[in-house]
Amino acid sequence: MISKRYIVKRLLLLIPVLLGVATLVFSILQLSPGNPARVIAGERASEAAVREIERRLGLNDPIWVQYGRFLWDLLHLDLGESYVYRRGQPVAGLLRWKFPITMELAVFGQLAGILFGIPIGIISAVKQDSLTDHLSRFGALTGISVPIFWSGPLLILLFSVTLGWFPTSTRIGSEYTAPQVTGLLTVDTLLLGQYEAFISAVHHLFLPSLVIGVYSMALISRMMRSSMLEVIRKDYIRTARAKGQGAKITLMKHGFRNALIPVVTVIGIQFGSLLGGAVLTETVFAIPGVGKLLVTVIQDGDYPVVQGIVLVFAVVFTLVNLLVDLTYSYLDPRIEQ
Amino acid sequence: MSLSVPDQIRAPGRRLVTAALAGAIAGGVAVAVFTIDGDFRTATEQVFSLGALAFGLGLLGWSGSVMAGTGIENMQRYMKTRSNWTEADSRRAMTRLIGFGLGVMLVASVSTVGL
Repeated sequence: MISKRYIVKRLLLLIPVLLGVATLVFSILQLSPGNPARVIAGERASEAAVREIERRLGLNDPIWVQYGRFLWDLLHLDLGESYVYRRGQPVAGLLRWKFPITMELAVFGQLAGILFGIPIGIISAVKQDSLTDHLSRFGALTGISVPIFWSGPLLILLFSVTLGWFPTSTRIGSEYTAPQVTGLLTVDTLLLGQYEAFISAVHHLFLPSLVIGVYSMALISRMMRSSMLEVIRKDYIRTARAKGQGAKITLMKHGFRNALIPVVTVIGIQFGSLLGGAVLTETVFAIPGVGKLLVTVIQDGDYPVVQGIVLVFAVVFTLVNLLVDLTYSYLDPRIEQ
Repeated sequence: MSLSVPDQIRAPGRRLVTAALAGAIAGGVAVAVFTIDGDFRTATEQVFSLGALAFGLGLLGWSGSVMAGTGIENMQRYMKTRSNWTEADSRRAMTRLIGFGLGVMLVASVSTVGL
C-alpha cells in the first residue's frame, strides 16, 4: 500500500519542477530572435503600429514584470492568446482539441511498445543465446537505431502504397464524422456506440502507433531481457524451483513482477520521447495533433502557442513519471523508504 | 531573544545567499558588458533571461535530485560505476545554481528601475 505521505511529497515536488519548466520556457523564448509585435503586425506594418502592439501586449514593461505576469497567468491556467495561428484565440482552447489527438497517438504507441516489448524480452531471456534471442536482439537494435522520419515513410510505402492495408493519413475514414466528446477518437466512438467508426479509427491509428512505438518496444524488450536474466538467477527463484514449483509459474509469479521494476522506469521516461516523437509522426502521417501544430507555430513565430505546448508536454511528462513512481513503489514497497 | 535557525535550513540558506551574491556580481558585470554592444534595455532583458535559464535549470536539477537521487545512488552502487555522484552533492550544487540565477535575475530587475 502506498502511503499518503509519499504521494503528498511527490505532488509537492511537482511545484519546483513546473516552476523550473515555466522559467526555462520563458527564458529560452526571450532569448530567441524575433519580435512578436512585428510578427503580429506583419512585415509591411509601420513602426507606429508595431509600437502600439508592443504596448498592448505589455512587451514594453520591464522583463521582471513580464516574467511575473507570465507566472501569474500560468497560475490561473491562462496560457495567453495565439498571435498568428488563430489570432486572438486562447491557447488553452486551441490545445483542448489538439492535445487528445497526440495523447491518443502516444498512448497507443506506448501500448504497442509494452504489448510487444515485454513478451519479446521475456522470451529472449528464457531462450537466451538461441536464434529467437539473437533475432529479437537484432530487431531491438534496429528499432532503437531507426529514426521516425525514415521508418514512417518506409512503412507508408510498404503497408499503404504497395500492400494497401492501411490508410496513409488522417484519423478516420471519410464516410464517418469524427465525434467530439473527449477528443480521443477511439474513446468517443466507443462511448457513442459507433463501432464501425471505432474500427476505422483504430485502423487509421495502427501505422502511426507502430512507427512511434517501435523505439519504445525495442528499449522495453532490451530492458525486460536483461532484467529477467538477472532475476531468474536469484536464490528465491532457485528455491521456488527446488520446492517443485513449475518453471512457468515461477517465472511469471516470482520473476516477472521483480523484473518489471526497471522496465516500469523505462516506460515512464519513454513517454517523454513518445510525445517528442509525435511531432515527427504527426507531420509524416498528416495527423492534426499538437506535434504538427508545434511545427506550424514555430515556423510562424507564434510564441504563446509554443510556450503552451511545451508547458503542457512538461506537465503530462511529469504526471506520467509521478504515476510511474507510484507504480514503482507499489511493485516494491521498499522504494518508498 | 535569539532566534535559532535549524542547521537543515541554515546551511542551504547560506549556500543560496552566497551564490546569489556571486550571481549579483556576475549579473552586474554582464549588464555592463552587454550594454557596450547594444542598448541598456536589451542588455538587462538578455541578462535576466540568462539568469532565469540558470534558475530554471537549477530548480529542475534540484527537484530531480530529490525525486530520483537515492534511486540513482543505488543504481550506481549496484552497477559499481564508482562515479562518486551523490544526491546530497547534487542538491548542494543545484542550490548554488538556483541562488546564482536568482542573483543575476535580481540585479537585472533592479537595474531596470527608472527605465
